[in-house]
Amino acid sequence: MSTFSGLNTAYTALIAARRGLDVVGQNIANATTEGYTRQRVTTSSVGSVAQVGPLSATVQVGQGVSVDGIARLGNIFLDARVQESAATSGYWAVRANTMSALEMGLQEPGENGISAGLQQFWAGWQDLANRPGESAPAGILLEKAGVLTSQIASGYQAVDTQWTQLRSQLSGMATELNDAASQVAELNGQIREAKANGSSVNELLDHRGLLTTTISALSGASVRHLDDGTAEVLIAGNAIVSGDTFRPIAVLGSAHLAGSATDPVRLEWAHRPGATVSLDAGEMAGAISMLAPPAGGTGGALAEAAEQYNLFATELATAVNAVHSTGYTAGGATGLDFFAIDPDPSVPAALGLSVIPTDVGGLATATAGAGPRDGSNADAIAALGTGDSAPDNVWSSFVTRTGMAARSDMQQAVLGELAASAAVSNQLSHASVDLDEENINMLTHQVAYQGAARVMTAIDEMLDTLINRTGIVGR
Amino acid sequence: MRVTQHTVMRAAQQNLQHSKTELAKLQERAASLDKISRPSDDPIGTSDSMQVRAAQQQNDQYARNLTNGAGWLSSVDSALSTATDLMHQVRDLTVQGANSGSLSPAAKEAIAVELEGLRDELLNTANTQYLGRTIFAGTSDQGVAFNADLTFNGSGAGVERRVDAHTTVRVDVDGSAVFGVGATSVFAVIDNIVDDLRTGTNIGPRLTDLDTHLNALLGQHGAAGARHAQILRAEETNMERSGSLEAQRSGIEDVDLGEVVLQLKLQEVTYQSALAVTARVLQPTLMDFLR
Repeated sequence: MSTFSGLNTAYTALIAARRGLDVVGQNIANATTEGYTRQRVTTSSVGSVAQVGPLSATVQVGQGVSVDGIARLGNIFLDARVQESAATSGYWAVRANTMSALEMGLQEPGENGISAGLQQFWAGWQDLANRPGESAPAGILLEKAGVLTSQIASGYQAVDTQWTQLRSQLSGMATELNDAASQVAELNGQIREAKANGSSVNELLDHRGLLTTTISALSGASVRHLDDGTAEVLIAGNAIVSGDTFRPIAVLGSAHLAGSATDPVRLEWAHRPGATVSLDAGEMAGAISMLAPPAGGTGGALAEAAEQYNLFATELATAVNAVHSTGYTAGGATGLDFFAIDPDPSVPAALGLSVIPTDVGGLATATAGAGPRDGSNADAIAALGTGDSAPDNVWSSFVTRTGMAARSDMQQAVLGELAASAAVSNQLSHASVDLDEENINMLTHQVAYQGAARVMTAIDEMLDTLINRTGIVGR
Repeated sequence: MRVTQHTVMRAAQQNLQHSKTELAKLQERAASLDKISRPSDDPIGTSDSMQVRAAQQQNDQYARNLTNGAGWLSSVDSALSTATDLMHQVRDLTVQGANSGSLSPAAKEAIAVELEGLRDELLNTANTQYLGRTIFAGTSDQGVAFNADLTFNGSGAGVERRVDAHTTVRVDVDGSAVFGVGATSVFAVIDNIVDDLRTGTNIGPRLTDLDTHLNALLGQHGAAGARHAQILRAEETNMERSGSLEAQRSGIEDVDLGEVVLQLKLQEVTYQSALAVTARVLQPTLMDFLR
């Protein structure tokens, strides 16, 4: 053990304290940085040098402190919880948003909805039944019928637009997913290299953690951490990122609602055309579930809503025409239809619905042989609005079902949001920087530094005594 | 669980956000006074509300039908009253003219002329119109019920008004049943009386014909009156139903103003205290106490 080893011990302490202060500084600097995980300097004591020779029996002191590294106080289990809950929450959030917009478009209950328009239409027929053959009530009826058909058409178009918007959102999400995945692959390469060099990778890990959370929220991907420091990101069992390679996902399928039945919207691996990716969580899964083609009531909500508009238009036209065609106009004509539906199969019934008569002459208000000013057929058409088989019931059950579905999706979204928020709170409570704690650490390191400096001074004085004052007694 | 500034701030922010969301919801509710602003607020309530609104609209329509029907029957009533008066005058004159011995030809001619006037008036009454429709000719679109040659234009079908979902009421009267048609009509009878007066034939036996027609008239008038009463009763029912439907709609759709204002006030206080507490909690750190 050398005379000067005490100075070196004090020096290692100075270095450790300074390094500790540096880490405190880094923590405080990033107290509000998103995704930052707090760090601690890890130190260990250095044992004494092995002694041999005649004087080796003396008591030996250690050689100071060594700075081993800078630990990142994250928890991969809490991170996994955050990723998983973000995926569930994202799925329900997209569904809830879509359903909410869909039901707002219905404008029910109220005075602007189709239900009110339909009631006005029936009332128009009743008014005509009171004054058959007159142009004023006939004009009012035709105007109300026009309003009703345009309400149905604009309701359908709103659903169509919503579908198209969600479809382009899905493309945007896929771009975001591929972008994040390619960054993760790049970071994986950097981390592996840095780890091999022995340099710190904490900040790179923070950055990668943020990106994998984004990927999970979008696609429900899970993350597997490997020994070389890289992370494997798995979507439905297949790796989108593995090491420093990444495989993009492509959105395929119709860009329009009308074509979605034959060419459904789906995700595929870009490098393996035809291999569909089926997601079970995440925002993209939510969007795909909403964009799904109609399947007899269990398909995608938007396509089903569009189908309901078509069904309603068809039922209305059929019911009214069935009665209208048995009646007679004031001019004695019979067998006339009131509503026409565009026979072109590419035009949806909701958009192809139109009113045939243009004036009172085309309205079959009378029943057979009851005189030209008879209104009993108009009364019979007005009576279609009551009873169990009324077209109103098709509409009202659609509204109720949409309301139910929206309500359940919104509740799920609230629950998902709560779970995600709790997971993030847990993660933050582990990983976030506490300023009180950092202040205490700062004081500790500061005092440790002062102490080490004092030790150095003491040794210096000791050596001074030994070197400069020894042997001068009695001079 | 470890608590840091970050988690405290996050929790505070979430609490404030939650409080503010509630406040916004209550504000919307208090401002619109609607319990259901979209179907998901209450899917069952939405369906009920749509049904009640439909029933209200139908009820309003029945009220319009009733007003229209009451108008028809009032016209029928006044026309039939006029016709009855005219018939009584005709009968009086006929009785007067039947005293064949005491009347000079000039007096008979005077009665005949007056009878002719009454007959034209009666024909006019039989052709009474309401809102452009002849009230005694059913669903006919001819301008008059009886032509000058006393043929009847009625189609035989009545004019019906729907007073509720299951009931219709006839609001016209068949002119052929009231006045008769052609040679057997009341107008032909009066024409015969006039002819008889001028030719000096005794018109006493014609009184029986007149009485038959008068009875037919009174019978139809009574039937029309009964239907009018039915319409008036239906109007009352309609009004009551309108009130009860509005009460139902309001019960389904409208919020209790007192309740929602109280809730709003309470939520405001909650929000303000949340703000105050947050401001107090977030301030101190150890740095405030270190030199």
